[in-house]
Amino acid sequence: MVNLDNLKKEANRILKEEKVKYIIGYKKSSNGLFTVPAFIKNPEEVEKLTWDPTCVYNLTRFLVDEKRKKAKEKEPDERPVGLIVKGCDSRALVVLLQEKFINRDDVYILGVSCEETGVLDEKKLAKTLKGKKVKNIEFGKNDNFVVTTKDGKTEIPAKEILAERCLECNANFPVISDILFGEKVKRKSDNPFESLEKFESLSKEERWTFWKEQLDKCIRCYACRSVCPMCYCDECVADTINFAVIAETTAEEKAQKIKWVEKSPVTSENFVYHLVRAIHLAGRCIDCGECERACPLDIPLRLLNKKLEKEAKELFGYEAGFDADVPSLVSSFKDEDPEDFIR
Amino acid sequence: MAEEFEPKIVAFLCKWCSSAGSDLAGVSRMEYPSNVVPITVMCSGSISPLYIFSAFNRGADGVLVSGCHPGDCHYIKGNFYARRRIALVKKLLDYIGLEPQRFQMSWVSAAEGKKYTQIIKDFVKELKPLGPQTKLRRNL
Amino acid sequence: MKRTGVFVCHCGINIAGTVDVKRVAKELSKHSGVVHSEDYVYMCSDPGQNLIIDAIKEKKLDNVVIACCSPTLHETTFRNTSESAGLNKFQCEIANIREQCSWVHKDMDKATEKAIKITKSAVEKVRRNESLEPISIPVTRRALVIGGGIAGIQSALDLANTGFEVILVEREPSIGGHMIQLSETFPTLDCSQCILTPKMVEVSKHPNIKLMTYSEVQEISGYVGNFIVKILKKPTYVDADKCTLCDECTKVCPVVVSNEFDLGLTGRRAIYIPFPQAIPATYTLDISACPGLLPIACGKCADVCEPGAIDFDMKPKIVEEEVGAIIVASGFDLYEKELMGEYGYGKYPDVLDGLQFERLLSASGPTMGKVLRPSDRKEPKEVVFIQCVGSRDPELHCPYCSKICCMYTAKHAMLYKHHVHDGQAYIFYIDIRSGGKGYEEFVQRAVEEDGVLYLRGKVSKIFEEKGKIKVWGVDTLAGKDIEIDADMVVLAMAMRPSKEAEELAKKLKIALDKDGFLAEAHPKLRPVESVSSGMFLAGAAQAPKDIPEAVAQASGAASKAVAILSQERLSHAPTVAKVNVNLCSGCGMCVLVCPYDALSLKDGKVEVNEVLCEGCGSCSATCLRAAIQVKNLTPLQVNEMIKVSLGG
Repeated sequence: MVNLDNLKKEANRILKEEKVKYIIGYKKSSNGLFTVPAFIKNPEEVEKLTWDPTCVYNLTRFLVDEKRKKAKEKEPDERPVGLIVKGCDSRALVVLLQEKFINRDDVYILGVSCEETGVLDEKKLAKTLKGKKVKNIEFGKNDNFVVTTKDGKTEIPAKEILAERCLECNANFPVISDILFGEKVKRKSDNPFESLEKFESLSKEERWTFWKEQLDKCIRCYACRSVCPMCYCDECVADTINFAVIAETTAEEKAQKIKWVEKSPVTSENFVYHLVRAIHLAGRCIDCGECERACPLDIPLRLLNKKLEKEAKELFGYEAGFDADVPSLVSSFKDEDPEDFIR
Repeated sequence: MAEEFEPKIVAFLCKWCSSAGSDLAGVSRMEYPSNVVPITVMCSGSISPLYIFSAFNRGADGVLVSGCHPGDCHYIKGNFYARRRIALVKKLLDYIGLEPQRFQMSWVSAAEGKKYTQIIKDFVKELKPLGPQTKLRRNL
Repeated sequence: MKRTGVFVCHCGINIAGTVDVKRVAKELSKHSGVVHSEDYVYMCSDPGQNLIIDAIKEKKLDNVVIACCSPTLHETTFRNTSESAGLNKFQCEIANIREQCSWVHKDMDKATEKAIKITKSAVEKVRRNESLEPISIPVTRRALVIGGGIAGIQSALDLANTGFEVILVEREPSIGGHMIQLSETFPTLDCSQCILTPKMVEVSKHPNIKLMTYSEVQEISGYVGNFIVKILKKPTYVDADKCTLCDECTKVCPVVVSNEFDLGLTGRRAIYIPFPQAIPATYTLDISACPGLLPIACGKCADVCEPGAIDFDMKPKIVEEEVGAIIVASGFDLYEKELMGEYGYGKYPDVLDGLQFERLLSASGPTMGKVLRPSDRKEPKEVVFIQCVGSRDPELHCPYCSKICCMYTAKHAMLYKHHVHDGQAYIFYIDIRSGGKGYEEFVQRAVEEDGVLYLRGKVSKIFEEKGKIKVWGVDTLAGKDIEIDADMVVLAMAMRPSKEAEELAKKLKIALDKDGFLAEAHPKLRPVESVSSGMFLAGAAQAPKDIPEAVAQASGAASKAVAILSQERLSHAPTVAKVNVNLCSGCGMCVLVCPYDALSLKDGKVEVNEVLCEGCGSCSATCLRAAIQVKNLTPLQVNEMIKVSLGG
């Protein structure tokens, strides 16, 4: 089990020794059960750090902001950022390394293992507790979560209230870290594509009806993109609103900008937007589930990304975020890649 | 009687094999339906998934991607990247419920005018019963 | 807004018979930006071209689209026409409404609709074309020839005689290749060494040829006109300048190993000269056979060497050379004998391959030109020759025809009969392929004058019995089984690319064909060019071939190389990749995808080497952020083409 005191001790050490600029971790929210990102700059603040089943955020996303900030500074602080990562988050880091978005020296990785559990699904918890308000939740023994309500503490088997992605996770401890907290125990893995396969078994028209209903809800708020650690492009090809037009942008460059997708949140444009996002995440998405969590319309975006994750694995034997030194999914091929679909 | 539905098809052809094969079909005076408008690109490896989504978005009833046979790519290996990329796009489109017949890939060499002709004939024949593609078509 | 002109060609009735060209011209005249649109019976004719020139000048056109035949035919014509009227070549695009439209459709309405879309698509493209000039690159006016067999020798001599400096690299201690091992050559029966050695001497004396034997190409970088080659010169431990060829060293050398020149039929010492006429004429100390240099275990050769030519301290050397063109003539090897177990090759000493038999026939060979069995040095009276051993056998061995075996087997049988008048020669064959000047006559001569017995059929088994080699076969013409008690069997083994070809191809980035031979750029029209610009192929490295074909291809490759070397500067198509550094994140995916190593990362952004880039566009399809695209076929252009192709 992750020893929070040890984590804090290490955080304290690296801040005191000025090894890192600051640490990105989790802290209790002032209103609400779920933890929020914490940016710890001084050893005195280390006490705020926490680790519990509500640490859902993929904090690697903040490295994107960090890189942008640093690029603007005249004399940037070259020390690494301390970053607390779960297994899934660490795979995001690996992809960022693979794509040379960050350097290994840019980050000091404080890995935390989810061991046999993972993070919480708020809806499942509410259902289990029949709406009772939760004051606190923490990791317990025997893969249970200890939940505190007004009636006191109860232990709930983690499996019953874990996020779907955690049930399907195959990297429950960080694949890369400078220091690891908790044990490298491999989860007894369930079928990593269970939720997907249920959906795949629907007929083509049922699948269309489902996606149409889901994607018609999309208001194109781009929360999915904002929260995604892989969506670090300065400019999104699928969205004309965020075209990065700066002083140096030439008229020619402006003229080259293509409206692949219209802004209007209608079926066709929503589909193309989400198709582009899905195909651009193929071989890069590591299923941290942040897009789905951030979506205000509850669109099951994981189900879209998971599909290409499965195809990458089954067709090409490729899994994202395990090795930063291999070529990416679409910048490589094998002679024996399947071609039974080609005439 | 209502006019028979004529599907609109965009074919992305690589310059060195498939476009040349399509030229050969012409030189040999083979006949095939006129539903396909070819767009010649340098290599099948240059065909971005965005081109395919865009074609459907702009009302294509079918999209064809065609390149050199494996090992014959003018650019050594572009068609291998295409094969992988197109496989993913095809799986994705199928998954969201687009009729799989609407998006196809073929290998057509510069010598295969006959094969190109057959592919177009089959493609049109398979698309006719499906009717117009409205799922991804822009309708603003 | 740019002013576009559209010219629709009737091509007689080739287009106009199926496409309403007037309607195409009329529809296009309504298209946004088109200020001039007309049709004409033959656009490629002088009056047709003049129409274009006049319109460009009078209507101040910025760009033009010619709707006509395939761009493979008249793109160059019309681009030159446009240029003569003052436009950049890239301001002219072709809409292919013949091969891809009028010739493949019958319904005029539908074909016309399609022709309109195709033409509009070209208009949308040309309106967004950049004006580009060819990229000019300097040329290093020297050549590298890899392989010192007959093909490499011929290429090197041709280049050197044209006045260019040549570096000829050979892996073995002497040049000569397989041809120098041969006895006599079909169909004239010239002595192989007699016709080859003058060329070898010419190579060694030629002021323009730098010969590097016992050397291997290690690394090649750069591009056409400007290659940088690293060559490893292995130590021979003998200073060729001091060596007087007195042969004292081999007399004292205590080691005997198999002599590769005689394919194991004889032995040689650890210090040796491959054959008497070797070029360069000097000895080589085979370090893998020598008892040891570090520390010196024997040293006898150095002790007896009066001129002190032996230098145990010689080190491998890496030489860097700059060249403008490369000819690869890495030759062939025979099919691995281990793979032909069914014919007892390697098991029975009197089952030989074709090259071993050449050595037996050779006047300078192990038997001084007498045909004797290796096992007991007796004259064989019954000799069975088997063709297509490993060739034309797609299930088990090589699917292709090795091409030279029919002829050399006829020669072997004939020469055998010349040596052993009372002997009998049998040839098992599938069929006889004797296409070539004087070849068919040669085969007939073997049958008619020398009484060689041709048996059409395959051999199923070869085994030893009572001092004879039993050959079980079938004569499919007579329809009966054949059993021969042979004294010797000669196998016409398949030709394979040399063992080093694969590694060499990787270094050079030349593709291999399915059989492992070096792949030519086009099987018919570009048979001596590789897919890599500035690299040419010669000899059996590209495909099995005989001597005259190898020589012809070698001269062809040399003249292709001269076409590059004779220029002050080369030009390269300017439709190459271009990076938008503001969008590039430096992820490097495109760098990995590029088939030509034209992309690299510098300070976190991708850079294009425009000379290496061939403009295939795989980079642009890989890039997630549209930061790299190929000039004049950008995603924006394609998207606009998609739009009008769908009637939008």
